[in-house]
Amino acid sequence: MEKITINQKILSKNDLNAMHLRNKFATNKTLVINMMSSPGSGKTSFLEKVLLRLKDKYNIAVIEGDLQTENDKQRIEAIGVRAIQIQTGGACHLEASEIDKKCQELGYENLDLLVIENVGNLVCPAEYDLGQDINIVMLSVTEGDDKPLKYPNIFFNSDIFILNKIDLLPYVDFSVEKALANARTIKNSLDIFQISCRNDEGLDNLQAYIETKILAKKRCS
Amino acid sequence: MHEASIANSILEISIGTAIENNSNKITLVSVRIGKMATIDESSLRFAFDAIKENTIAEHAVFEFNRVPLLGVCADCSHEAEYPGYFVACAECGSMSIKMISGDELEIAHIEVE
Ligand SMILES: Nc1nc2c(ncn2[C@@H]2O[C@H](COP(=O)(O)OP(=O)(O)OP(=O)(O)O)[C@@H](O)[C@H]2O)c(=O)[nH]1
Ligand SMILES: [Mg+2]
Ligand SMILES: [Zn+2]
Repeated sequence: MEKITINQKILSKNDLNAMHLRNKFATNKTLVINMMSSPGSGKTSFLEKVLLRLKDKYNIAVIEGDLQTENDKQRIEAIGVRAIQIQTGGACHLEASEIDKKCQELGYENLDLLVIENVGNLVCPAEYDLGQDINIVMLSVTEGDDKPLKYPNIFFNSDIFILNKIDLLPYVDFSVEKALANARTIKNSLDIFQISCRNDEGLDNLQAYIETKILAKKRCS
Repeated sequence: MHEASIANSILEISIGTAIENNSNKITLVSVRIGKMATIDESSLRFAFDAIKENTIAEHAVFEFNRVPLLGVCADCSHEAEYPGYFVACAECGSMSIKMISGDELEIAHIEVE
């Protein structure tokens, strides 16, 4: 019997692919955002709103991850932004190799902003690096203010926490204060935005934030 | 859940390592999984046992070690084990706790014949 020490990350293949992706995005100065949430929190609605405001100024593309259908891809195309669909056919997350494949179809060059809408799921996507600069976790006020405590990993691995559907606050028992406090216990440094894709509240701030990040990525080489 | 794809990676790395070391029988695979890694032990075992059939790992024992969540306070350097991400530092009340361990998804070693 012989013992062989490995001490290697299990996901090292995905991590390696993600590192290559990150290098390509750095070379092309593309800002990459990975959006995660449970199904129906409003990821696509948010992208429809905010990318419409950015699309004339920047070269943008969206990768849509879903179990089935091309619905989200079509919604993004309808606002005049390029979109490409990954149908995972059951897999609960996207992997770096799939992003690379789709980016080759899209063409890496000249992209200012790539948004990846991950599969609706608060658990698995957090474990898979996609070469992104920014991880966004979105929660809507109909889902409960204890969600950050129930799904700590996704909050811990995110940079931005978007609380969506705040137009519905009068109709639900949801404490914004508790939700934000819960998120901050998990990760104190989260940037937090409260928005409504229904009445556009809070979208100006978030648009400005994203533009700042796009420009910062352009400057760094 | 993604335990199946994790199990796949474990098997791939294990077999690759065994072959590099001129072995064709793996008797043990040992992994380190952090408390906060979203991995369910019994699902991972089940997945691993299912896919190891008809490979050189088919008789391998699967050793699962859970790594505790440890944090260090950025303000006072107090180290402690935490039940989850993260509460205030027990020493000074600071909210800036940095993770020392607890998110591992690692293969520690294999044993071969
Ligand atoms: N009232 C209200 N409804 C919203 C808001 N944002 C999204 N919705 C609605 O919520 C539903 C789901 O929105 P989507 O944008 O499809 O959510 P998603 O996260 O992309 O969903 P999946 O891709 O299926 O995971 C739709 O009916 C939207 O109209 C909001 O701010 N307020
Ligand atoms: Mg969607
Ligand atoms: Zn302290």
